[in-house]
Parts: sequence; structure tokens; C-alpha cells
Amino acid sequence: MNIIVCYKIVPEEQDIRVNPDRTLDFARAEWKLSLYDLNAVEAGMQIAEAVGGQVTALSVGDGKLENSKLKKAILSRGPEVLYLVIDEALSGADTYRTAQTLALAAEKIGFDLILCGEGSSDLYARQTGIQLGEILQIPVINNISKITPQNGLLLVERDLDDETEVLEVSLPAVVSVSAGINSTRIPGMKDILNAGKKPATEWRAGDVGLPVYESKVSPLHTLAPEQTDRKRIILDGDSEENIQALFENIRQAIKQ
Amino acid sequence: MDFNKTEEQELLLSSLRELVNRHLPDDYMRKCDEEHREHSEFYKILVDNGFGLLGLPEKYGGTEVDTTTLILVAEELAALDAPTMCDKMLQADDILEFGSEEQKKIILDLIKQGKQAFSIGISEPQAGSDNNAIATTATRRNGKVYINGHKTFCTNADRSPYMLCLTRDLESNKPPAQSISMWLLPMDRPGVRLEPLHKLGMGYTSTFEVYLDDVAIEEKDLIGKENMGWLNLMKNLETERILTAAQCLGAAQCCFNDAVKYANQRVQFEKTIGSFQLIQEKLTYMKIKLENMRNMVYKCAWEKDNGQSIKLSSSLCKLYCAQSAFEVADDAVQIFGGIGYTLDCRVSRLWRDLRVYRIFGGTDQIQIHVAGREILRQAAKAM
Ligand SMILES: Cc1cc2nc3c(=O)[nH]c(=O)nc-3n(C[C@H](O)[C@H](O)[C@H](O)COP(=O)(O)OP(=O)(O)OC[C@H]3O[C@@H](n4cnc5c(N)ncnc54)[C@H](O)[C@@H]3O)c2cc1C
Repeated sequence: MNIIVCYKIVPEEQDIRVNPDRTLDFARAEWKLSLYDLNAVEAGMQIAEAVGGQVTALSVGDGKLENSKLKKAILSRGPEVLYLVIDEALSGADTYRTAQTLALAAEKIGFDLILCGEGSSDLYARQTGIQLGEILQIPVINNISKITPQNGLLLVERDLDDETEVLEVSLPAVVSVSAGINSTRIPGMKDILNAGKKPATEWRAGDVGLPVYESKVSPLHTLAPEQTDRKRIILDGDSEENIQALFENIRQAIKQ
Repeated sequence: MDFNKTEEQELLLSSLRELVNRHLPDDYMRKCDEEHREHSEFYKILVDNGFGLLGLPEKYGGTEVDTTTLILVAEELAALDAPTMCDKMLQADDILEFGSEEQKKIILDLIKQGKQAFSIGISEPQAGSDNNAIATTATRRNGKVYINGHKTFCTNADRSPYMLCLTRDLESNKPPAQSISMWLLPMDRPGVRLEPLHKLGMGYTSTFEVYLDDVAIEEKDLIGKENMGWLNLMKNLETERILTAAQCLGAAQCCFNDAVKYANQRVQFEKTIGSFQLIQEKLTYMKIKLENMRNMVYKCAWEKDNGQSIKLSSSLCKLYCAQSAFEVADDAVQIFGGIGYTLDCRVSRLWRDLRVYRIFGGTDQIQIHVAGREILRQAAKAM
């Protein structure tokens, strides 16, 4: 099975500073692999290990993707091949633009299955996978907690509130996995050393035929939430009254 | 001068952090110390995640890395207060270099399971710093080899199926470099008797007097060439010194991190204790020592990787790091005050553990003995 795993790079949350005017400062932030995409990579590796096939990693974005440590980082997690679509026009692309580019690249690469993470660990819009399936006009399903390849189909599970939905998905398809689907493998030294030897292809927007397009949405600003002063109410002990008082306080705070 | 780590080293260290975050329970190290258990579960995890055979040759399933990478791993694990396996790897490397195919297989199989393969039987009651004074003998009788002697301070002797046992041919009247042999002694043989020693720290290791009374082993248990056992030990001796220093550095960094955090939190006289200049002075000198240790360790590893002699620098490095790391730990205990003296506080454990590095792997005085003579020798040569 030819599997494409889509991933995004995001700024390290711990390094993001909030300026006095509540705008965000990314200057000191290192870029890293988006956390939930690692579950998609792991899911892809497990399928390929079970039924054979190749896992290809794919990301689209601006020049930050060229960072060779990040390329080694994704390849050290298992994928054999890496494709990147790098173009300044894709800087801060919205989910539609991203999905459109991914779709064009995926068609050019060829695939049976595309895996996405639950959402990106920075914006967490959870739209890209769904839009990607729609653009490609193939089955798309999200929040999947188990994938079993079976006779050229996929048997997938989705956890609902009280029950687990089991669905059969025909291929090709786009599947977004939940963060709880697996525990990701940790790259060892061999994986890391091998990563540098794996093939990586870089395309420009034009190479995949991405049309020039004007986004319908443009962000006006991104601001950190306003800080509220701490209430400094301390309840000592776990008596019934204290618990009741804690509950009342929270209720009041939410109502405000 | 380039102080950057390679991308591979950075990725490796971030893998290690991920591994420790995910798999090392908060109270694991404290419990192992308290219950005198070795870190076997974590060794297994290191092995399962591809860190087990770091530094060993490719042909044995290992991952060859340079000395710098090896010491970065040892430092990082120690700084995270996690067990390291790097020292074990170097000892195993001795066997892979000099051992027979059968010996290699035995040792590798054990290491690949994350198990203790062998203990080191060098020290004897009369042979501590002066390890040339060993008097354990190997005698041939009826097609067998009989070992007689008394080993002491044998770490993990009860948990290791084998002992790397050094014997000396006293009758040959030859110097130690030509009369010491190394054997892979199976510990389940009759005539092996253990008596425990009780230590101040390093609770996760066990330590024994080992009495060897006519222990029958085979000719094939010899490691390398007869009477050339010193050669086997020398191969990694200097690298082991840097590695020891790196572990001291990491543990000291861990103490420092805890102490800084505490200095920012603990309030006395209505101020955080960190706002007192006497505490700031401690933190400042601790930080200087950490910087010095790191620079020495990295430089020494760099010299080794660039084919330069580290005979002098590895002794200086081990001496300085063993002393400074303990001083940093001691200051950390002081910053914590009474809590720092309790078993719940990990700096007290690291303080106990770190003290031993000034004793084993060559005492402070022996490092000076090695370094001092080397300094004079180099100067005489240059004249
Ligand atoms: C926890 C622990 C684990 C150990 N594990 C092992 C092990 O697994 N296998 C093993 O073989 N050994 C092991 N050892 C032994 C260790 O290598 C010795 O303790 C060490 O070499 C020092 O020997 P000693 O204790 O006999 O001290 P001694 O050599 O008796 O030294 C006593 C003091 O005299 C000083 N001194 C000695 N010679 C000189 C000199 N020439 N000039 C100036 N000062 C000198 C020393 O520095 C020290 O201060 C271990 C020791 C400890 C504490």
C-alpha cells in the first residue's frame, strides 16, 4: 500500500512570547514537527509494516520547511521518502490553500491512502484532512482510533460518546487519526543516522500546478487572551462546605 | 571553534528526553536506591528503543558513534536523573575487541536484553589504587583452570552471570603488563562465595567481597592473550575517564537545576531565598563549575575524536569533574536546607552518589599521580 502521511511544522509553544500589546512573538521559537502528525506517521508505519508498502511524508509551506534537521526529524520516524512543496506564497496558508496544495502534490506522487493527524498542534482547525478528501473527491473520515487493512479495504474505528463506530472504507481515501490511536516510536541513533540518507524532493508551487489564488480570509490579528487578575481565594481542606464553596466560585467565574 | 552540536546529536538528545519523559516514572530512581534494585526496567527500555548498543561496532548490531556523541548521551541521561548504560558499553567493547566468538555471543545476548553481563574483578584487599598488586591466581590442573583469590568492591557481582576476573602469574616474576590475565569467570561455579558490602550511596548497585576458592573454569574462558590482560583494560581506560566525568557533569547539572528552581520558590524573611546574595553567590559559582566541567569534557572528547592523546587531559578532566560535581551537589544540598538532607529530595541522593566518583575509576590522588608525572614528562621532552 502506498501511504502518504501529511505533516506540518509548528513553532515550539514554550518559546512563544506574549508582547505587552498581547501580540505574539515567534522570533525565538524553534520550529518542530506538529505533535499529532506523529501519530499519523506511526499509523502509516504500522500499516506498511503489516501489509507492506511505502510510507511517504509530505508537507507544504514556506522556506522554514527547508530546515535539514526537521527533514531528518520526520524521516527518522520511519517514512522512506519525503516530498515538500515550498513556496513563500504558502507562508501562513489557510486550511483550504494547504489542502489544495497537498492534493496536487499527492496526485503527482500517487497513493492508496493519505493519513493526517487530528489537527495541527498550533492552530488545531481540524479542517485540512476533510478538505483534502473533498478536493480529491475520495472518501474521507476523521477522528479514527484504529485502522485495520483488510482485503484492499480499511476497517476503521471511531470512538463516539457511548459507542465505537466500525466502518469500512474503500481506497483510495483520506483518514485523519486521533491522537490516542497509538504511541509513537522514538527514533534511535540508527534511525537518525539513516534519515539523512533518505531521498527528499522539493517542489515549488508551480511544479505541482498550484493556481494563483487570493485567500477569501485574511487574519486581522492574533492576540493572546487578556490576563485576568487572580482571585486569590484559598480554601483549605476538603470539607463539604469547602467543596461547595469551590464549586460556587467556579460557577460565578464562568457566569461573568 | 564550533560549539554547535550536529543535527544528529540534537535529534538524538531530543529522542532521549522523549524516552525519559515517557518511560521514567517520577519516583523510579528514588525507589531503586531505597530498595537496592538495579535499573533493569529502564535498561530494557533503552535497548528496545535502539539506545542499547550505542558505541558498539556495527557488525555486532551496535551503532558506532564518536566519543562526543557518547558523552553527550551520558551527560543528558544523568542530567535527567535517568540511568545510563554508556559505561557498560565501553566494558563490553573490551570483550568484543579481545574476546572469542563464543564470549562475544554470550555477552551480546545478555546486553541485548538489557541485562548485566559481567562484573569487574580487579580490586583486591591489598590491590586498590595499586592494582598491579593483585594476587589472584590461575593454575592449570587436569585440563582445567583453577582460580584462587579474593576480589573486593565487585559491583553487581550477584546480578551478573560472569565476572571479568584478573589474575596474576606471580611465579613468572614478570612485570604486570606481562603477567596479568583476564578471564570470563562464570559465577555459578562451586567455590564462588559472595559477602555484601554496605555503601553510603549508589543504592541501585550492589557491591560484594568475592571469595574464589579453587573455582574450576575452562581454558576457553581466557579473554584475549594470556598474560596480556592489561592490554584489554587499557583500550578504553581513557575514554572511560571522560565518560565518568560526563556523568558527574550531568548529575551536577541536575542538582543545579533543582537548586535554582527552589531558590526562586522558597520564601524566608518574606523574600525568596534566591534574592539573598549569599545564595546568588552559590548559584554563580555552581554555574561557573558547570561551564568549566562541560568545556573540559567536550574538549577532551573532541581531542579523542581527532586522534589526539588524552592521557593527560582525561585525567585532569576526571579529577576536576569528580570534585566539582560533588561541590555543586553539596551547594545544592545547602540551598535546599533541611529538605536537602532528607531522602525525599533527590539532591541528597545525587550528593551521596557523586561522592564515589572521587574514589572509583582512579581516586583523585591517582589522577594527580597520572597527570603530574605526564606534565613533567611532556615538559622534559620539550626541552
Ligand atoms: C562503590 C564502589 C564500587 C566499586 N566497584 C568496583 C568494581 O566493580 N570492580 C573493581 O575491581 N573495583 C571496584 N571498586 C574499587 C575501586 O576501584 C577502589 O576503591 C579504588 O581503586 C581505590 O582503591 P582502595 O579503595 O583500595 O583505596 P586505596 O588505594 O587504599 O587508597 C586509600 C587512599 O590512599 C590514596 N592513595 C593510594 N595510592 C596513592 C598514591 N600513590 N599517592 C597518593 N595517594 C594515594 C588514595 O587516593 C586514597 O585516598 C569500587 C569501589 C567503590 C567504592
